[in-house]
Amino acid sequence: MLELVEASRHYDVAGRAVAALDDVTQPFSDGSITTVVGRSGCGKTTLLRLLAGLTEPSSGSVRRAPSRSIGVVFQEARLMPWLDVGANVAFPLKNRLSDAEIAERVSDSLSLVGLAEAHRAMPAQLSGGMAQRVAIARALAQHPDILLLDEPFSALDAFTRRRLQDVLIDIWQERRPTVVLVTHDVEEAVLLGESVIEMESGRVVGRVPVDIPFPREATDAAVVDYRRSILARLVGGAPFSSIPESRRSP
Amino acid sequence: MPARRIIVPATVFATVILLWWMTHQAGWTNAYLLPAPSAVIAALVDLAASGLLLKHTLVSLQRVLLGFGLSVALALPLAVLMSASRPARAVLDPLLEFVRQVPPLALIPLLILWLGIGETQKLGIIVLASFFPVFLGFRGGIAGVDPKLVEVGRVAGLSRREILTRIVLPSALPELVVGLRISLGYSWRALVGAELIASSAGLGYMIIDAENLARTDIVLAGILVIGTIGLFSDLILRLAIGRAFPWLSAHLEAARA
Ligand SMILES: Nc1ncnc2c1ncn2[C@@H]1O[C@H](COP(=O)(O)OP(=O)(O)OP(=O)(O)O)[C@@H](O)[C@H]1O
Ligand SMILES: [Mg+2]
Repeated sequence: MLELVEASRHYDVAGRAVAALDDVTQPFSDGSITTVVGRSGCGKTTLLRLLAGLTEPSSGSVRRAPSRSIGVVFQEARLMPWLDVGANVAFPLKNRLSDAEIAERVSDSLSLVGLAEAHRAMPAQLSGGMAQRVAIARALAQHPDILLLDEPFSALDAFTRRRLQDVLIDIWQERRPTVVLVTHDVEEAVLLGESVIEMESGRVVGRVPVDIPFPREATDAAVVDYRRSILARLVGGAPFSSIPESRRSP
Repeated sequence: MPARRIIVPATVFATVILLWWMTHQAGWTNAYLLPAPSAVIAALVDLAASGLLLKHTLVSLQRVLLGFGLSVALALPLAVLMSASRPARAVLDPLLEFVRQVPPLALIPLLILWLGIGETQKLGIIVLASFFPVFLGFRGGIAGVDPKLVEVGRVAGLSRREILTRIVLPSALPELVVGLRISLGYSWRALVGAELIASSAGLGYMIIDAENLARTDIVLAGILVIGTIGLFSDLILRLAIGRAFPWLSAHLEAARA
């Protein structure tokens, strides 16, 4: 079990206390896949950092069995510039697995993200999207019990993004890690989440179970419906279509 | 690109020598104060033939390598220690900061009193001159490690020690390399200074001895050799580093002492 219990995180910004996370209680059951949506600055990264143990809550607690391994895909690629792509993917595994196992995991996960050819490239030679995919491969190669992803596909073109979304679902179905994925793209949240957590200024304002079997298609009517209703709530108030005539601009 | 890297500096040097030669032909300079290029080359050939040049060069090179090596051997562990330990910083920082403010040349009289005029004193001067660039460079590099990369290590469950060796130290390399290059240059300059003041061998001695004998041609020949060796040792250091850490090449271009 992975769980936030009445967790808050305050930051002191120019003498003013800002609640990046405000009294959040949220369980993530083992083997579930959950997506988190919300506007920029609403506290999504903070939530993920608490789950990862990188930030301590100001109050409340994070419950996680210490034995569970964690893989994180950060909002930025965070590759070691002195290591080539292969060594970056191998980085968390080094001294923990045999060289042969590491080599196998590295080439497997690089193939999954479509970068088998880039094994020997240096990070400085990669495009933004390639670097992000290497970071994804690094987390996948760990075979973590808990996989935390912070807008992992944001730098990718639509086709690659689509492919990697499928890869993520395949891996989740195969290995059943507990997945928490943060995105600002509501469609992506609906496509990937068993449930979608809606956040607004540090608070969780909704948790929507998405009752559609995988694999899901963006064009599925059900997906479109979920997307529309979540979007409507996040934008504030009722869906556009139901805005009264009188409040529409001429 | 590599061709231009050789052609441009070679042209610059050739032009300077040509101008030098022309002023000489025109009779604008006093042959005692500025001998002709040909005279300097003749002096170089003589020095080389007699074996003196090789002897003095080897003496100087050996001192530089020892002194520079000693500096690096002291600076690297000390930088790691002081980066890792607050008490070590509290005790050593004020002391080192004080020593850093004193130009090594100003310490030569003291070093002569304490260490005599032998090899130890030469090493002392080189170490004093070359310690700080490599020490401060490495410390700066360690302090400048990107905390975001450290977090990658933390979530991967790396120990403190692994974070140091696998993230902090490698990311300090670019600044360390800059420090190494500056240190090597300082070693060389300080050595020649030390040899000018009290020595019986080495390129600095060769120059001062020639000055006493009014052999300006040998003085100039010595200066040429010193400059050339300086250039080449920097080049060799850069090539060695570039080969060991190819990803550093951009930093190497930027680093100039
Ligand atoms: N280290 C920090 N110091 C001060 N304030 C912070 C810090 N980290 C986050 N915050 C503040 O907390 C709030 C939430 O930030 P967070 O990074 O969690 O947002 P986010 O939802 O991930 O945004 P985005 O979608 O833009 O990535 C913001 O107001 C931010 O300014
Ligand atoms: Mg964020």
